[in-house]
Amino acid sequence: MLPGESVLTFQPPSITKGIVIIVGGYGSGKSEVAVNLARHLATDGPPENRPITIADLDIVNPYFRSREATERLQQLGIQAIHPRGGSRYADLPIILPDIKAGIINRNGTVILDVGGDDAGARVLSSLADAFVPGEYELAIVLNANRPFTANVDGCLKTMSEIEGSSRLKFTGLISNTHLLEDTSEETVLSGLVLAREVSDRTGLPVLFLSASAEVLSRIEPKEIDVPVLPLTRMLLKPWETND
Amino acid sequence: MAKILMKGNEAIAEAALKAGATNYFCYPITPQTEVAEYLSRRMPEVGGVFLQGESELAVANMLFGASSTGKRVFTTSSSPGISLMQEAISYMAGAQLPVVIVNIMRGGPGLGGILPAQSDYFQATKAGGHGDYRVLVLAPSTIQEAVDLMMLAFHLADKYRNPVMMIGDGMIGQMMEPVEFPEKYKEPPLPPKTWAATGAKGRKPIIIKSLYLDPNLLEDNAWTLHDKYEQMKKEEVRFERYKVSAKNRILLVAYGTMARICQTAIDELEKKRISVGLFRPISLFPFPEKQIYQEAGKKNIGDVLVIEMSMAQMYEDVDRAVRGQKQVSFFGRTGGIVPSPEDVVEQIEKLIDKRKPKAKKKKA
Repeated sequence: MLPGESVLTFQPPSITKGIVIIVGGYGSGKSEVAVNLARHLATDGPPENRPITIADLDIVNPYFRSREATERLQQLGIQAIHPRGGSRYADLPIILPDIKAGIINRNGTVILDVGGDDAGARVLSSLADAFVPGEYELAIVLNANRPFTANVDGCLKTMSEIEGSSRLKFTGLISNTHLLEDTSEETVLSGLVLAREVSDRTGLPVLFLSASAEVLSRIEPKEIDVPVLPLTRMLLKPWETND
Repeated sequence: MAKILMKGNEAIAEAALKAGATNYFCYPITPQTEVAEYLSRRMPEVGGVFLQGESELAVANMLFGASSTGKRVFTTSSSPGISLMQEAISYMAGAQLPVVIVNIMRGGPGLGGILPAQSDYFQATKAGGHGDYRVLVLAPSTIQEAVDLMMLAFHLADKYRNPVMMIGDGMIGQMMEPVEFPEKYKEPPLPPKTWAATGAKGRKPIIIKSLYLDPNLLEDNAWTLHDKYEQMKKEEVRFERYKVSAKNRILLVAYGTMARICQTAIDELEKKRISVGLFRPISLFPFPEKQIYQEAGKKNIGDVLVIEMSMAQMYEDVDRAVRGQKQVSFFGRTGGIVPSPEDVVEQIEKLIDKRKPKAKKKKA
C-alpha cells in the first residue's frame, strides 16, 4: 500500500451551506481546521462549493491565527479576509466591512474562523443579522485533550457559553482531538467517542473528523463512520517543518 | 498523569497551582492574558486568591504585602507591564521577600508591539530596578520546561528569599504543546518562614521593610544579598547542550524558543556535514559563565555565535564569558520578527566562508 493511500478511502466532508462558522474552545485547533477545510474545498471539493473565501475573525488570540497562512491560501485561489497593515498583527476588535459584505454577497462558500471560547465568539453577535437560519453551519471544534473540553459536561458548558455570546445555535460538531506531535491513532479515535457522546446528548451531527494525514494513514477507514478531513499543518511554529 | 494539550500561558498557571501558589495578582496584557483568564476560573476552585489590580504598580505592591505573610505569591505580565513593576521588585529584593514573576516578552522599547521578542534580557538579568540586587532568572524553551521551571521558581524564591523571574518570548505563552504534570509535586525541604508577618500574638512584631536609614545597616543588607547571589552562582546554574561534540566547528549560544530554531538549523547543517553545537543557558542569572568559557575554549571551536530575538543583549554576557579566547559574533532579529532556521543556517555558512583559506593568486 502506498503511504497515505488509505486516507483516500475515507469519506470527505460534504459542505452544503454557503457559510461555515468554525468556533471552539481556545486551542481546539479551529484555525488549522478552517484553513485545511478551505484548502480541501478549493482543491478537491465539488465545484458548487467554489469559490472559497476564508475570513479570520479571531480578535482574541495574538498569534497562530489563520491569517498567517494567507499567502499560501491565496496561491490556491482562496480569498483571505483579515485586517491589513499594522492591524494584521493586533488583537483588536476590528470587524472589517468586507466580512459582512462577503457574507451577504457571497458566491460559493465563506468560512469564518472565529476566536476561542465565548470571548472569541462574541464577534459573531455583531454579524448576527447577516446569518439566515438554514443557510449557515455553526460548528464547534472539539479536542478531548484540552482541559475544559475533556468530557461531555465540559463540552456542553463551552457550547452553551458560545451560543450565549454569539446569539447563534450550533448545527454540528467537528471531532479534532489531537496532541500535536504526540497524536496517536487512539488519540483520534478516543476523541470520536467523545464527539459521539456530545452528539447523542445534543442531537447535533458530527460533520466530520479531522486529524493529521500521517496519523490517518495508520487508521482503518472502517473505524471512522463519519466524514474525514485530513490535515496538513499550515500554522507551524518557526522551528517546525512539514516533512 | 496523562499528557494534555496546553497553551503555554495556561500551563504556567496550572504549574503555579501545583507548586502551592495561593495568591495571584495580575493586570491583563497581551501576550500573557490567558494566565489571568485561566486562573480566574481555577483559583476559586483551589481556594486561592485571584485579584485583578487597577494597574501593574498596584499588582506589584500587592505581591509585596501578600509575600510578607509567607504565602506563595506570583504575577505574570509582559514587557511594558514588567517595567511598571520594577520599583516593587527592588523593594521585595531589598526586603528579602520570595515572589515569582513571569514575563512573557513582546517587542519593545516602549509600548512596542505584541509579537514575540527577547528584548528584556538586560532588564531581567541586571536588576531592572534600583539598588544592589539581582533576581534569579529562568528561561524555558518548551511548554513542559515552562511547567517544570515554574514549579522550581517557587522553591528557589523561598530558598533564597528573593524574587525569581521566569522569562519567555511571546511564543512560550501562546503556543500549544502536550504537557504532563506530576501527580504530586515534591520539593526538597525548606526552613520554616520565621520571618513572615503572620500575627504578633505571643511574640514580638515582625517588621518587613527595605528602608535602612543607618548606612551601616543598609550596607549589611547589601552584603547579605550579595552572599545570596554568590550562593546562586554556585548552586543554581542551569544549562543544556545540543549536539555539542569534538567535531563542532561553531558553538551557538541561544536561549528560550530561539534555541529550538537553532536546533532545527543544526539538524539541517548536519545533512551538509557542517557540525555545529548549541549551548542553551536555562538560568540567565546566574549565567553559565564557566561552562561557556570551557566550551568556547575547546580547540575544535572556531567561532562562537550568539543568536537572539533582541539586539545583542545576551551577547554581552557570552562575550564576557568567552574572555577573548574566540571571536564572538551576533545575529538576531527583533520587534516581533523571529529568525527562521534558514536565517540561522545562512549566518553559520557566512562564518565558515570567512574562515576558509583564500586561494593564493599566482604571481604573473
